Amino acid sequence: MSKKISRRDFLKLAGAGGAAAALTGCGPASRYVRREPYTQMPEYTHPGKSTYFATTCFECSAGCGLLVRTFQGRAIKVEGNPYHPVSGGKTCARGQATVEGLYNPDRVQGPLRVARGAANESINWDQAIGVVAGALTQYQPDEIAFLLGMAPDHLFDLVSELAAAGGARPPLRFGALGMFEARNTLLKATGRVFAQEAMPFFDMANADVVFSFGANYLETWVSPVAQARAFSSMRRGKPGRRGYIVHFEPRMSQTASVADEWVPIAPGTEGLVAAALGIMVAEARGQRVPAAYASLNLEDLLKQADVDEEVLRRLAQIFAEAREPLAIPGGSALGQINGLENAQAILMLNAVVENLGKPGGVFLSQVAAVRDDAYHRPNTLYEIYQLIKDMREGKIKALFIHGVNPAFELPAALAFDQALEKVELVVSFATFPDETARLADYILPDHAGLESWGYQKVVGVGPAVVSGAQPVVLPVFDTRATADVLLAAVQKAGGALATALPYKDEVDFIRQSVAGLRRAAGGHYSAADEATFFSRFQQFGGWWTQEAAAAAPQAASEQPLSVAAPEFDGEGELFLLPYPSPILGDGAGANRPWLQETPDPTTTVMWNTWVEMNPETARELGVTDDDVIRLVTPYGTLEASVYRYPAIRPDVIAIPFGQGHTALGRYAENRGANPARILGVKVNKAGDLAFAATRVKVEKTGRQRPLARAEDRVGVYGDGE
Amino acid sequence: MTDHAHNIPEEFKESLMFDPRPREEMNDMVMESMHTVGKAYWWAVGILSFIVATSLFGVWFFMIFKGMGYAGMNVPVFWGLFIVNFVFWIGISHAGTFVSAILRVFKAEFRRPFTRAAELMTTFGLASAGMYPLIHLGRVWVFYWMIPYPNQRLLWPNTRSPLVWDFMAITTYLLSSLMYLYLPLIPDMAMARDRSTGWRYTVYRLLALGWRGTEKEWAYLRKAINIFAWAIIPVMFSVHTIVSWDFAVSMKIGWHSTIFGPYFVTGAILSGVSAVMMVLFVIRATMKHMKYFIRLEHFDALAKLVLIFSMSWAYFFYNDFLLEWYGGEKTGHEMLANLMYGPNAWIWWSMLVFNILIPWLTLWSKKVRRTPWLLFVIATLINVGMYFERVVIVTMIPQVNRFPFAWGDYVPRMEIFISIGSLALFLLLYLLASRLIPIIPVWEVEEGHHAHSLRKYGKEYIPTVSDLD
Amino acid sequence: MAAEEKGKWGMVIDQDICTGCNACVVACAMENNIPFVGEDETAYGRGMHWIRVERQWEGHFPEVAAVYQPVMCQQCGRAPCEPVCPVFATLHSETEHINLQVYNRCIGTRYCANNCPYVARRFNWFDYEWPAPLDNHLNPDVTVRGRGVMEKCTFCVQRIKRAEDEAAAEGREVRDGEVQPACAQACPTDAIIFGRLDDPESRVSKAARSKRGERLLEDLGTQPKVTYLKGGARYD
Repeated sequence: MSKKISRRDFLKLAGAGGAAAALTGCGPASRYVRREPYTQMPEYTHPGKSTYFATTCFECSAGCGLLVRTFQGRAIKVEGNPYHPVSGGKTCARGQATVEGLYNPDRVQGPLRVARGAANESINWDQAIGVVAGALTQYQPDEIAFLLGMAPDHLFDLVSELAAAGGARPPLRFGALGMFEARNTLLKATGRVFAQEAMPFFDMANADVVFSFGANYLETWVSPVAQARAFSSMRRGKPGRRGYIVHFEPRMSQTASVADEWVPIAPGTEGLVAAALGIMVAEARGQRVPAAYASLNLEDLLKQADVDEEVLRRLAQIFAEAREPLAIPGGSALGQINGLENAQAILMLNAVVENLGKPGGVFLSQVAAVRDDAYHRPNTLYEIYQLIKDMREGKIKALFIHGVNPAFELPAALAFDQALEKVELVVSFATFPDETARLADYILPDHAGLESWGYQKVVGVGPAVVSGAQPVVLPVFDTRATADVLLAAVQKAGGALATALPYKDEVDFIRQSVAGLRRAAGGHYSAADEATFFSRFQQFGGWWTQEAAAAAPQAASEQPLSVAAPEFDGEGELFLLPYPSPILGDGAGANRPWLQETPDPTTTVMWNTWVEMNPETARELGVTDDDVIRLVTPYGTLEASVYRYPAIRPDVIAIPFGQGHTALGRYAENRGANPARILGVKVNKAGDLAFAATRVKVEKTGRQRPLARAEDRVGVYGDGE
Repeated sequence: MTDHAHNIPEEFKESLMFDPRPREEMNDMVMESMHTVGKAYWWAVGILSFIVATSLFGVWFFMIFKGMGYAGMNVPVFWGLFIVNFVFWIGISHAGTFVSAILRVFKAEFRRPFTRAAELMTTFGLASAGMYPLIHLGRVWVFYWMIPYPNQRLLWPNTRSPLVWDFMAITTYLLSSLMYLYLPLIPDMAMARDRSTGWRYTVYRLLALGWRGTEKEWAYLRKAINIFAWAIIPVMFSVHTIVSWDFAVSMKIGWHSTIFGPYFVTGAILSGVSAVMMVLFVIRATMKHMKYFIRLEHFDALAKLVLIFSMSWAYFFYNDFLLEWYGGEKTGHEMLANLMYGPNAWIWWSMLVFNILIPWLTLWSKKVRRTPWLLFVIATLINVGMYFERVVIVTMIPQVNRFPFAWGDYVPRMEIFISIGSLALFLLLYLLASRLIPIIPVWEVEEGHHAHSLRKYGKEYIPTVSDLD
Repeated sequence: MAAEEKGKWGMVIDQDICTGCNACVVACAMENNIPFVGEDETAYGRGMHWIRVERQWEGHFPEVAAVYQPVMCQQCGRAPCEPVCPVFATLHSETEHINLQVYNRCIGTRYCANNCPYVARRFNWFDYEWPAPLDNHLNPDVTVRGRGVMEKCTFCVQRIKRAEDEAAAEGREVRDGEVQPACAQACPTDAIIFGRLDDPESRVSKAARSKRGERLLEDLGTQPKVTYLKGGARYD
């Protein structure tokens, strides 16, 4: 249904909405949303006055704090929560478009039995809970699997508890952003270099020279808003001292484009380059070359990496002389077959300049103690592969999926959808009819982020943070919190599980989980009792430590660094570099019309998928802008239009991830191409996908499909076809 | 004078002024031409009416209800073919005034048979042109907010805006050109009244204002025509100058030019006079007895005018081009490069070929100037060229601006239908008028006959003209 | 300096820390009820973005660099758009010294857009729609524009007005930093600074006096209110 909004309609709507929701922020009744007659509105919903609610952004797993402006029961505008240590009052494009997710016309509007596309029948929530309860009783605990999203949130804690209580498999967490971050590789490398497998925190804000290797920290990597803020204070926050950034990556990403220098090194040579730099830096600092480098020879490294020694020497000098140098590994540097070695070599640079635990250096994130203070890492692709294998072998009878869209995000070569067919019961909790939900038996839609309760543990930003979420509006549709559904199902199933999970509902679980923080040290507020604490928790949008709570890593290990030459999968002249779209993220943003209409920062393309190619390469291949080309890897083919990109190595082509949906609503469907279809399945030693280690063949199709660009190509590139 | 008619030499016989016929005969010829309506005429009226109803008003109303977006305009080409057509038709409308008023004031005798035809072009050209500022409006239903009148909104138009100047200038021009069309029409209306019956009689009687043809009436009429002929000339210059200011006072590279005023006026006259040639050709070919009134000498004279205005247009064009090119400003060069080598460069080059090359190569030849069908082709090309000139100025120059990131392209969409529709409107109005009012000002022709005489000095015939004013 | 400043509100954009992330673009769209127009329309240059983040290339591979420049209405002191409007639909605010666009008065001549040297104006080519329930997030403080009218960046005048009213009610001046347009509020790197230019001590005034400061097309005499701070790639 589409509707034109005249001003009169608009006012009418506003009036009707006005009599709606009011949320209270204190007392045990806080769980419940009350409807009030228009004549006795709660004091904070004056007509014409906005009410602001603090919550957490659900668009990615960074856990930014939001302040949402609501007006008479409707969420109007997302604003950053200025107190929040992650976002500091700021938001990214995806966060801003959250309201378009909330009010999206294509949401799943109530529980559905879809029977893998064979049906589309509304059911009621009692039936829905019955389905879940039935699965919990009917199947053996280890025949039940949970696949959750990237964020270490309350649902993960609840499901973990549920799984532990029933003896089921622990829930798996996965997301395309984590896949393109190769987060486990970073964790493992941190463990190897600094002897503790913790999430490192790179104190960019206080650094003065940053060498980043593939980490697209301004786009999607770990916590883009927090890192953008850090970037800002690094570069311009200190009077008279401008931070200097060098970015090593085969393609100029948005992050690389704001660096002071971009070094287009060959894919997979990041470790070689970092190791060479390490030796040079050590020499330039006049110190003994650390023992870790003992087995390495500078000349060999340079030769293998095929880089200009002059350039590296100059950069090494800069790094050596810097007061607060910092090296950051991430993204495509780690998504290589030799990714773990690369990560270690890059992390080692920090050890060479001795910035461990110093301002502007490397720290290890501490996790706030909610239920436990461990960092629960997302799972590797290898672990997901094992799940898929179990599914295929019929070991999984019931699969519950929440917060992730594996049918879209996983490399198609893993054939997740085929494995799904072997699972007897697939339940999706998706808010949108995404690719995975369409293959499920039931869709039991969770609330949208702005309608949800929750908390999320945040790492990688300095302080220990638990970001809190609360509904800012009444649910728009007949959706129900997945935690509530699970708890209700557990009660319905009864037995030992019901007694092991004695929570009244989702909010009760959250309150019990965060209650312990009241006595935790270093909190930025105190509360006399639990109720007050929880109201503060809602009011501030979470709990965090006043000071940075990151620990200094132990001195770097002395064990010798091993670097490996790059290895590649497939054949073809060109290397394929898929990267998550800075605007659409993991593709969940593709159904927000304004995100579709937001130009990609570096190419300014909107609403579609493109293949970035050096103009020189395009000339050799005989293709030009908007020519549709076919990319062929051993795993599949994909067609997309060419964008002649002046800032990419001639031997590399890049393609953004996030489009190419076959489901997910009118704004996302049938638009662009999904690079997951041609991704390889080789993993690195940490089990993460080596997504940037595939060779690709390019075929011409002879067709053209013009891309919508914000820039004018005649004006910008001077091509006057 | 009539005595000489039988023995004057052939070279003068070709001239209308020396080939007089009795007034009564001429009256009948004109009346007959008005009354002769064949099947083809009604077919033409029918088809044109259909085009006007659908392609002009149908499409326009569709766009009013659905939005401007069905036209091809975008950012940064905010004005499209609508404004092109506006300027074009304003240009066409210059013909009447120029041919009629200026030639009258300067006593160019060859004007006599076709002043009416040219004046009709002015009026109908303005009718076509006048629709475009409305068609072009995003919210045409509130167009009257541009009109200065006391209102409850307590608003007044912004007199600093060239569009308000435009509005004033066009209104003035339309009213004065209507008046100027009407004054010389009065005696002809009386002539028609005396030879008509039925509804025609009623109409002509009303329009003739009781004209009896007394000396006093003639004296007043002459005086009034004279005053209007003088007064309308500055109005004509101002109209197209003000139209050019719509562009020239802006900050746009390529528009901000001091020479736009005369450049536009010259271009307007070039296209207008060419259009007069086209109309005369059609009238001569399709209407009865017109071969008597409209002769090769008239085509010859008009063709010379066209050649002169083609040259002066070239002069102004070169001035405008040279300054931008020589000035060397970056955006200006980019703008010129887009015109000369950009995706639509063919429009710019065709403009030069049609407006300069073709007239210069052909019109020097008397033979060409006296071949009406060839002139029709040339005049058509010139009008296409002049249309392209406006396309270049209105839609191609704005494609380039000071922010290369925000350059753009322009592809007309619904504008094409509306353009065809307004051409049809012009033709339709002309077609109807050609059968409703005497297309030849008989009294003016007769006056010419009286004023012209041949005198024999020895063996030579010397043409003489006496001033009747 | 301060005495010469006639403008009241101004903006500074630090290109050295602008990352081109487009958060401002989306924030602006959400605050100001800017419609989305779809792929074909936006490809044809009819995107309604009030801010366009220009990505400008410098140099050639491999010594290539990108600079981001967000361009929106510069709220000129002597705005070329103002005199050409026949119906005063775009005019100067005497109190805020910004260029107002009065949607209800606009008749859609598009002359202002043609005369804007910054190409900052957008036109409602159609009645754009937000399919229900997407229309729920429309901001009640900002008019939803119908077909045929011009629109452009307003410096979030609704926020300025609200702050001015609140300050007036409390009998004080608007404090520095009290008003943030949606773009500045969202900008993750704080590259957009907004505030009062008539207060020489305000953050924006200080930033505008920076040696790196430049105003776009200032030589046209438009007196733009947005200052761009150029980035520097030097290591020092």
